[in-house]
This record gives sequence, C-alpha cells and structure tokens, in this order.
Amino acid sequence: MLSILWEVIARGAPQLSLGFLLNNNSNGGIGPAIQGTLILIGLTSLIGIPVGILSGIYLAEFGNNKYATTLRSINDILTEFPSIVVGITAYGVIVIAIIGSYSAIAGAIALSFILIPIVARTTEESLKLVPNSVREASLALGAHKWRTTLSVVLPTAKAGLLTGTLLAVARIAGETAPLIMTILGNRYFFQGLNQPMAALPLEIWRDSLQPQASMQAHGWGAALILILMVLSLNIIVRLASRGRLKR
Amino acid sequence: MSRIIDRGLEEQSVLITKMAELTYETLALSIQGYVKGRSVQDEVNEMSDMLVAMADKLEGKTFELIARFQPVASDLRTIKSYMKIGNDFARFGRYSLDISYINEKVNGLKECDSAAKDYLEEMSQKVLSMVKMSIDSLRKLDVNLAKSISETEREVDKMYLEYLERLIEEDNTSSKCIISSALMTRYLERIADHATYVCESIVYIVTGEKITLS
Amino acid sequence: MTSTNTLQEQTIDLEMKMQSIDVNAWFGQKQALKNINIGIKGNSVTAIIGPSGCGKSTFIRCLNRMHELTPNAKMTGQILLDGQNIYDKQIDPVQVRRRVGMVFQKPNPFPTMSIYDNVAAGLRLTGTKKGKNLDEIVKRSLERATLWDEVKDDLNKPGTSISGGQQQRLCIARAIALQPEVILMDEPCSALDPIATAKIERLVVELKRDYTVAIVTHNMQQASRVSDFTAFLYLGSLIEFGTTTDIFESPKNPLTEKYITGEFG
Repeated sequence: MLSILWEVIARGAPQLSLGFLLNNNSNGGIGPAIQGTLILIGLTSLIGIPVGILSGIYLAEFGNNKYATTLRSINDILTEFPSIVVGITAYGVIVIAIIGSYSAIAGAIALSFILIPIVARTTEESLKLVPNSVREASLALGAHKWRTTLSVVLPTAKAGLLTGTLLAVARIAGETAPLIMTILGNRYFFQGLNQPMAALPLEIWRDSLQPQASMQAHGWGAALILILMVLSLNIIVRLASRGRLKR
Repeated sequence: MSRIIDRGLEEQSVLITKMAELTYETLALSIQGYVKGRSVQDEVNEMSDMLVAMADKLEGKTFELIARFQPVASDLRTIKSYMKIGNDFARFGRYSLDISYINEKVNGLKECDSAAKDYLEEMSQKVLSMVKMSIDSLRKLDVNLAKSISETEREVDKMYLEYLERLIEEDNTSSKCIISSALMTRYLERIADHATYVCESIVYIVTGEKITLS
Repeated sequence: MTSTNTLQEQTIDLEMKMQSIDVNAWFGQKQALKNINIGIKGNSVTAIIGPSGCGKSTFIRCLNRMHELTPNAKMTGQILLDGQNIYDKQIDPVQVRRRVGMVFQKPNPFPTMSIYDNVAAGLRLTGTKKGKNLDEIVKRSLERATLWDEVKDDLNKPGTSISGGQQQRLCIARAIALQPEVILMDEPCSALDPIATAKIERLVVELKRDYTVAIVTHNMQQASRVSDFTAFLYLGSLIEFGTTTDIFESPKNPLTEKYITGEFG
C-alpha cells in the first residue's frame, strides 16, 4: 500500500496547483471532476444517510419480528452486491426508464444503494452495543420507547454511528463502476441533476487510458486528490473516535 | 451440610448438658442432706460455684455466637434459651446452697414431727422429679413432656400454700421447725417455678411460642 | 410444599399500597411465578428473599410492567396500585412506571449525561418538566439520596465519573426526582462494597417515610436489617410472608427456616 501511495504522490504531486484544482479540463485542470465528486458525495449522503440510519434504528430497536429479520437479510445481501451490478440496475431503471439520460441524480441513487446497507448495518451494530441497562433505566422512568431511542440510545451510540457513516462515505467516494453507467463523466462543470457529470474516479480512469503522457500525468494528479480526500475522511474518523476514548 | 455456626451450637449443647447433670446432682445432694439430716454444705458449695462459672461461660459464648454468626430463627431461639436455661440451672445451685445452709443452721427436719417430715419429703421428691422432667425434655427437645410439667407445678404450689396454712394454724410447732420447714418449702416452690421456666424455654425453642406453664 | 399465605387471599386489601393477586408469569413456556399473592404496605419496606432463580426479580418487574418488555414474557393475574389493576386495558404502562420507580442491580446512570442531567432526565424524558424548577428538583433529589454534599460542586461532570456507590445513589435520586409513589429495588447493593452498601441501606430505611419500598435481596442480613415485611419465594412460589421479626425469629414454614438458617446447599 505504501508503494502505491508513494507512486501516486510522486507522479501526482507535480500536477498540483490552484489552477489544477479549479480549472476545467480545457485549461488543464480537474475542477469539474472535483466538483462532481463533491456533489455526488453530498447528494448520496443526503439520500442515503437518513435512510440508512433510520433502517439501522428500526432493526436494532424495534426489530424483533419477522419483517425485521427479512429486512436484515436483504440488507446483508445488498452489502455484498457487486457495485457494477448496482450500476447496471441504476442504468436500466433510472437512466433509461425514468430520466432518459445519464444523470447526476442517477449516480447519486446508485451510490446510495451501496451506502445505505453499510450505514444501516453499522448503525444497527452501534446501537446494539449500547447496553440494555441504559434502555431499561430510561423505560423504568416512564419514557416512551421512541423517546428512549432518540434521547438516550442514539446519543450513547453517537461515536459508532459517526464512524460507520464516515467510513461508508469514504467508501463510496472512490466507487467507479456505478458511475460509468449513471453519470457517464464529462469535462464540464455541473449542468443539472438530470445531466451527465464529471467525477474523480471517472477522470482517473479515462485519463489513464489516454496515450498522451500529459493526460496520464493529469490522471495521477486526480488520483492524488481522490486519495487525499479519502485519507482525510479516515483521519477525521480516527481523530473523532480517539477524542471520545480520551473522555 | 453442616454450617459454620453448628460447631458453636454443638459446644453450647455439650455445656448445657453438663450443667444439667451437675445441677441435678447438686439439688439431689442438698435435698437429701436436708431430709436425712446430713451435712453436705462444703460439697454443695463447690458444686454451686462450678454451676455459676459454667453459666458465665455459657453467657459469654452466647454473645460470641450472636456477634459472629448473626443467628436467626431456631438457631437464635436456641442460643437465647440456652443462656436462660443456664441461668436457671445456676439458680438451682444457689437454692441448693440455701437449703444446705438452713440444714446446717437449724438441723433440717430434726425438730419437726413425722407428719411434717413426710410432707416435706413428698414435696422434695415432687420437685426433684420436676427438675428431672425439665432436663429430660431439654435433652430430647420434647414439647409434650415439657408442657406436662404444669400439672406437677400446680400440685407443688398447692402443697406449698397448704403447708403454710398449716403452720399458721398450728400453735405448738417448735420455732426451729417453723423456720426450717417454711424456708425449705419456699425454696422448693421456687425451684419448681424455675423448672417450669426451663420447660417454657424448651417450648419456645421448638415452636417459637412464648407460653406460661404455671 | 405448602404455601403459608398470611394475607387475605384474593380479596382487595385497601390498606395495601400494592397488591398482587394470583400472579403467574412465564418466559415462553417456562413458568417463573406461580400464584403469587403478596400485599405491599404503604410507607414500609418489604423485602423479597429467596435463592437464585426463585422468581423474585421477575415478580418485582411485574410491579412496574417491565416484565412484559422481555420478548415472550407473559403474565396473568392482577396487580393493584391503590386498589386499581395496573394491567387494565385502558392503563398506559408508561404512566404506571412514572408512579412506580425502579433502581437496578448494576448502577446505570446515562453515560452521555452529566450528574445534573441524569437527575433531571426523568422529567425531561417523560415530558413532565414544564413549569418546574429543575435546579430545585435536582438539588432536592440529590439531598434526599444523601448525595448532594458529595457532588454539589461537580454537577456538570459525567454521571459515570463517580464511584459505584455514588452512581447507585445517583440512580436513586433520578428515580426520586419523578416523585414516584413506590420505589422498587432489584438487589441494589450487589455490586457495591460494604460501606456503600451501608449508606444505601440507611437511605432505604429513611425513604419509607415518603415512599413505599420493595427490595429484592439475596442477602438475608440485609433483609432483616432494612425491611418491615419479608416475603420468601422458592421456585416461583410464595412460601411465606410476614413481618420481618416473625420471619427471622420464628418462621412458620420449615422451608423458610431452612433457607434463612443457611441449611440450603
């Protein structure tokens, strides 16, 4: 892993400049790709995190019945789904049937399908780690179950939830396959939810296939940026959990 | 499965049994000495002192058991009652001493007529049998035997009161006889009372009931 | 074995703050309680003793409708609070739990809340803090739980930053803050050292002035020290119930005698 990292830094670092980060492709920059990835992360989080967390809460706190067991099984299967299959499905359902073109929103939905099962599972696990004695203490005071979950269990599981969510986001930031079939990738800044969009993974992939050395160097630069984004998310997670442990 | 406290209870049981034997001997000796006119004071004195020492030891051990083992229910009742019974037995010793003292000072029944002699002998036998009954029911923890003492208790009470009546009515009894026999019947009546208390304690140990048997 | 119920069976005794009538309880197929008839007198301490697995915790959890929160738990019979069955269809279990508070075996202050917030939690979580002076209630509850002096300068420290014994008193303060009528305690001192235990026992005896207390304990000396009435449960059945003095001086049932004198294996 270190050699990969070194390789990326060595080849990508020379590309870095403010212009590189902000300009569009005609001016030698990867601005659209960065913007695209950020928009994707934002949209996906907006859709996926609430759904994932609510599912996780349902499974952990209210899930003693057969519906929950079924849901859990489905969830487990979804976490193992190859991302390209998610991409193809999104292509068929959203790109073709609903919107009619490659679109940013299709990409966001596809990535949500990867994000939600992960967030649901880590949420459920974090909540299950909260000792039952804490729930009982709240219930014995005469608090309703939903109040207990909201005001006592969730805050207690906060750290785990945060970690799980951030890690899931870091994961989808680098997904490439679903993007190929949903947002297609282009060299323009954001043009609308129902339009194709650029993204870092796609940029890297396309650039690496080009014969020109300058394009390949371009790709290394993009790769470096992407790795930096993912690494910083991981570092944030690590710092956040260490802070909690200290207390 | 034996408990930690059982050892302590066993020791108390052994001690109270020894006291029972000794106290009966002491009483029997002093009563016999009185009725037959023999001098037994020194012996009785020694035996009585031993009984007092044993009662003290029993009491000390009782507090130790309570402090260390927090006994409850039948254990607690047993320990408490052993202490009480031990005191009753020591009391018998003191009465024996009193009897032998009177014997020394006023020569027992020598100054009394034969009717009085017979009467007092009968009463002493009854009382001795009561003491024996209380000791037996303690050994066997027999509630029915213990309860049956009330009959004899009533008889002894009756005899005591009747004798006093007789002494009051008759004029020509010698003063030495009056003192000797009045005190003796008094001691006998008290011994009978304490034998009854012992039986009441036995009922309490076994059933937890606090009753009066007189 | 014979049950020695010294209480009027199956009649409602209005002197009793709480009363269980023919209570049977199950966990799935396993029956944990058989026909329990116990009366809990107001402003007194009732102890529930018995060997492990005899059903004492199950019983006490029926008194505040916590038993039904366990999956597959079932209960039949009635439990009266001031003469009214708390299991009536129209009674909300949440309301019952506000009148019948509980302190658990292992102290369980809310880990993300400060000492102050822990005590106020009951009022906040039940939405009953309107129009009330929280500061005053927190102070009063901590005082009543004999914890105020020890924590008054540290009210913002986390509830878990104090010792085990203090945490348990914090939990008691938390329960008291809601002004319940009955306080249930499930082996509250099991996890504590002797000095902390002694403090809580003293507190229990004081609490009966204003509340009715039912305490489950496996420590018989504790039961005899703090309680006015004692119930002895064995294998789910009530074996004997009476004043603590009677039970510990002259129990009527030979099984009770065996248990309290330590003759059980």
